[in-house]
Amino acid sequence: MAVPAVAGDAASMPPVEEDYVLHCSACHGLDGAGANDVVPGLGGVGEVALRPGGRDYLMRVPGAAQSPVDDARLARLLNWVIEEFGGVELESPLTEHEVGRARRAPLRDPGSARRALLDDPQPGP
Amino acid sequence: MMRSRLDVWAERSARSLARGFGRRSFLARLGGVLVGGAVMPLLPVARAGGPSPSDVNAPEPDGDRGDPTKCEYWRHCGIDGFACACCGGSASKCPPGTEMSPVTWVGTCRNPADGRDYLISYNDCCGKAFCGRCMCNRNEGERPDYHWFRNNDINWCAGAEVQTYHCSTAIVLGVATERQPEK
Repeated sequence: MAVPAVAGDAASMPPVEEDYVLHCSACHGLDGAGANDVVPGLGGVGEVALRPGGRDYLMRVPGAAQSPVDDARLARLLNWVIEEFGGVELESPLTEHEVGRARRAPLRDPGSARRALLDDPQPGP
Repeated sequence: MMRSRLDVWAERSARSLARGFGRRSFLARLGGVLVGGAVMPLLPVARAGGPSPSDVNAPEPDGDRGDPTKCEYWRHCGIDGFACACCGGSASKCPPGTEMSPVTWVGTCRNPADGRDYLISYNDCCGKAFCGRCMCNRNEGERPDYHWFRNNDINWCAGAEVQTYHCSTAIVLGVATERQPEK
């Protein structure tokens, strides 16, 4: 299924911070802290990204996979989130191609996938 | 403490506006809140153990035109609900006795005072029955339910401690270089 996307090249993209505010902060918070038990915080995304299957999870979580930005812009945004909130600068950043392939199959049960990834009993969607 | 990149972005955004539009521009005056790591206080969120709306002392932006008790107020371009300015709160703050929901949706509205688009966060205020005053339903930039992240029909109080909807705010988060809905 084609994902509604805004085409972007580096020169025409809004600042990545604007993308975060517009497409992520409404649920994950301006400070990335999440919301009670409803939305997970982003402090652990660095750890997630480094685990087996973690990159795939981050690209397929519905909020990312279904966001109205193209693959290049989503890759840029995810790499930024991983570094800004997760404190990890990936040696091999997520690529446009990698994101494009992964986001075609959004996770249907992201909560279970996250808990399995982290072996974390924390409740949440 | 190292400032976050969001702080730097907000400061850069405010300064570029000040250069381009002079000191009396809307965001230049608001810049006193945005600059210096104060992006978060523009969006007072309620979460367990965290800051509450009453902890925030963000000044109301003066000089932005319009009446926040009216549906035509520029920040209300995507609103669907009761304007909190009619309910004992303001366009940026929840009325006493309500809690600002920590989850919401963000769109953009154009400020006629300077012709710029701004990121607007439509946080709901929760925990009391319907305000019942100043019902506004403009929906500009809003999308159907299957684009839930751009939908204003959802009860965004779902993230609050008490999920009863009372009214809606329209909080300015910063300048938008890309007007919503996206092309």
